[in-house]
Amino acid sequence: MTYKTRRTLTAYAFLSPAIVYFLIYFFWPIAIEFWASFRSGQPLIGDSAFVGLKNYAHILNDRLAIKAIKATLIYAIGSVVFTLVLALGLSALLVGPVRARNGIRAILFFPYIISFVISALMWRAILDPYTGLLNAALAKVGLPQQFWLVDPDTAIWTLIAVSVWKDLGYAVLIYIAAIQGIPAHLYEAARMDGARRHHLFRDITLPLLMPTTLFLAVVIMITSLQEMALPYLMTQGGPANATRLYSLHVYETAFQGLNIGYASALSFAMFMLILLITWAQFKLLHRDIRHV
Amino acid sequence: MARKDNHTTASKLLIYPLLAFFVLMAVLPFLYMVSLSLQSDAEMFSGQVVVIPESLQFSNYVTIWEKAPFARFMLNSLIVAGTITLLHVLFDPLIGYVFAKMEFPGKRLMFVSLLATLMIPFFIRLIPLYVMTAEMGLLNTYPGLILPFAMSAFGIFLMRQFIMPIPDDLVAAARLDGASEFRIFIDIILPQLKPAIATLALLTFVFQFNEFIWPLVAVSSESMRPITTGLTLFNQEFFTQWNLTAVGGMLLFLPCFLLFVIMQRYFVQSVMLSGMK
Repeated sequence: MTYKTRRTLTAYAFLSPAIVYFLIYFFWPIAIEFWASFRSGQPLIGDSAFVGLKNYAHILNDRLAIKAIKATLIYAIGSVVFTLVLALGLSALLVGPVRARNGIRAILFFPYIISFVISALMWRAILDPYTGLLNAALAKVGLPQQFWLVDPDTAIWTLIAVSVWKDLGYAVLIYIAAIQGIPAHLYEAARMDGARRHHLFRDITLPLLMPTTLFLAVVIMITSLQEMALPYLMTQGGPANATRLYSLHVYETAFQGLNIGYASALSFAMFMLILLITWAQFKLLHRDIRHV
Repeated sequence: MARKDNHTTASKLLIYPLLAFFVLMAVLPFLYMVSLSLQSDAEMFSGQVVVIPESLQFSNYVTIWEKAPFARFMLNSLIVAGTITLLHVLFDPLIGYVFAKMEFPGKRLMFVSLLATLMIPFFIRLIPLYVMTAEMGLLNTYPGLILPFAMSAFGIFLMRQFIMPIPDDLVAAARLDGASEFRIFIDIILPQLKPAIATLALLTFVFQFNEFIWPLVAVSSESMRPITTGLTLFNQEFFTQWNLTAVGGMLLFLPCFLLFVIMQRYFVQSVMLSGMK
């Protein structure tokens, strides 16, 4: 046995538990889900029949699914936009000469690591229209009571606010790292040319942060499109299905409706969408990196 | 950027209140949780919002254990999150080493496939995983809770990122001396990986301790619930008992908080290094 063969065999031996594991727990479930998405009845657990694309076509007639898609898009886009705008502003402040900036960064990052269960339960307590802290504070300054999670018009925005609260510190952290990576001589050169502070930010920092912005947009977009714990814990999808996000719809179709074939098609449609978005954003990222 | 510029007094007057607002918002739920957890039932139901309880009701921290089997929930969480963490610490560095320092046919394909698993949303796997777990008879068991998370591309990728900067010469010299790959891994790589492995352990533990969706699906018996789903069960049954819910929240919060405080610097570093969630 040559030295090279031996090393290849060693590598495969080390990898074998992982190969077996990922095949069983990642690739096999996806294959199964794909198979089930073309079947009616009870694929995976009982009798089922091949129905072609019927499950996929049904999504378009599923009023709840359409509503869930709309709510999910609003939620994902809202989360991305608000998180990035706030994070950009905050990180611009926090690379400046601000007291206790390391402490502030750590505190801002804190919500990111806290369990969804605590975040959701405590925000629910704070946002309760009658006994909540927030409305009590509003009343103190003479503002009217708000029905944050109870009113179908405000519920999704309230949910977005909580998701921004959760991700903000993560985005700030990544932005700060990126801003500190920008070569100082670019600023010095511009300053010698007489550029003002806000010019430096607009003409140097912002364009050079494009790859970071895109990266954060990808990550936050993808996780928001899959969000389930937050609506499950805060609103159970209500009021009037206003916060029934897509993954919650899939979950309930599968585990309460026991409609496995259709739920698989719903999952797979979302999978395709996420792959498409990821692909598009990677294209953008690459294009942008080349230009910088 | 622009570090040498001095802020004017006017901008300082604007910046600090703004930062103070965001800092307050970040910690508000936790401050409120502490406050709620120390309120008496009378204060809870007074119809007034209490920020600082009149007298601190520490007995809530005793009462909660009688209301629901929290000791059991906590034990379940520790067993599940602990075992998963142990599995990651055992496997991720070794597999990270293979991808960082060894050459073999199919390496690129395997690495790309591994990274691709990061893009697979958990809820895509949820239904088949549930059926698989049910068929193996593992619903409501520890293996059923552990196996879906026993390995992840994230940990392997993180370890690879930490192993890459270790000089190739060091590895090559050991190979020339006739050391086996496993020896190299144990004697050369592992000792340099201690902080990285501590980070991996912390990250894995915190995320698994907080896992909510999978136990929600895979556990139906009360005695197998981890503290995350145990707490929501509790919250639904004693819906208005926000003070006791908050005590439960403290139980879920404190272990992760302590780990976070101890390891904050490494944690932040690893998030930036991986650049991923």
